[in-house]
Amino acid sequence: MSAPDDQSAVSDVDLVHAAQKGDLGAFEQLVARHRDKIYARAFSMMRNEDEALDLSQDAWVKGWQRLTQFQGESSFLTWMTRIVINLCLDQLRKLKRQRLESIEALEEDSGGVERQMPTVEVNPTEGLERGELRNRIDAALGKLSNEHRTALVLHEFEELEYKEIAKRMNCSIGTVMSRLFYARRRMAALLAGLKRENAE
Amino acid sequence: MNQELKVQAWVDGELDADQAERVGEWVANDAAAGALAAELRGVKAAMAGAELARKAPVSPEFYWSQVQRQIQAEAALARPKTSRWMARWRRFFMPVAGLAVACCVVLLSVELSAGVSRPDVVSSSNEGMDTMMFHDQSSGLTVVWLQDKSAQSDASSASDNDNSIDTD
Repeated sequence: MSAPDDQSAVSDVDLVHAAQKGDLGAFEQLVARHRDKIYARAFSMMRNEDEALDLSQDAWVKGWQRLTQFQGESSFLTWMTRIVINLCLDQLRKLKRQRLESIEALEEDSGGVERQMPTVEVNPTEGLERGELRNRIDAALGKLSNEHRTALVLHEFEELEYKEIAKRMNCSIGTVMSRLFYARRRMAALLAGLKRENAE
Repeated sequence: MNQELKVQAWVDGELDADQAERVGEWVANDAAAGALAAELRGVKAAMAGAELARKAPVSPEFYWSQVQRQIQAEAALARPKTSRWMARWRRFFMPVAGLAVACCVVLLSVELSAGVSRPDVVSSSNEGMDTMMFHDQSSGLTVVWLQDKSAQSDASSASDNDNSIDTD
């Protein structure tokens, strides 16, 4: 098997073609290139290091098994990202079944506390460096419920439309809009430093 | 859809042209709607491309070794599925082969118990003569071949020197 460095000049497309013919070394190179991005997306959704690691590795195994189905309509990274997202969604569904989410469900059904919150102005270019903003967004994502965070990640990071998010989250478009709305309002409050829970 | 969700859908470009125009006018003329739209737009802009980069918390070698092991393990599990016809053939062949072996064992044991034995063949060589004796116990038949060594080299005359004796 070739060392990953030997193929650093080869494009993803060529590596994918080689891997589709059974070249595990080419696939190893693809993993080396995109491993951290796939892990980062799994972490954004799961907020748990171990789960993110396991799911990102599972995604690569699935990627290898389904590689012949990849026709190149999107980039290889986009295709792999969709695989890891689907695995995360499956895992979140399992987790949801395992725990009681009565409080979150009540908040969501009744409109939640976010509806009564005053609007805040969030200007990402004002006062915050881009790196600092990323850190604050990441920290804020960790404070959202799984459903709200997932809707936000799929819409803002993955740039999916409502319809596509609804399909993936197995819920109605109305539910997606509702989750996205409350997630954004809470995110706005967190980014602006309005931590309601501290004030109460 | 409530008014707030309409504002959000307008910010996200999810409304058709007519609805978008109506909501746009409302946002422009209503301070609360305008503030909400600004907030939603602000979050959207802040989050665009702002996913925090992270490194997997294990070494690249370890990460890959785990992926590779899982790939190989799943391939091993999947292998029997790919040769399903082989499994079917084996399912058919194994009982037939077993039956054949069983039949052979039975026949052999019957043959042995009936006292049937292979014919005995004994050969010896004296100074001027080769002797070969063939005895079949079941039929009680004994055949003895005698051959003159001096005539052995002469193939044409060998048959003339052969004698056979039959005994009961």
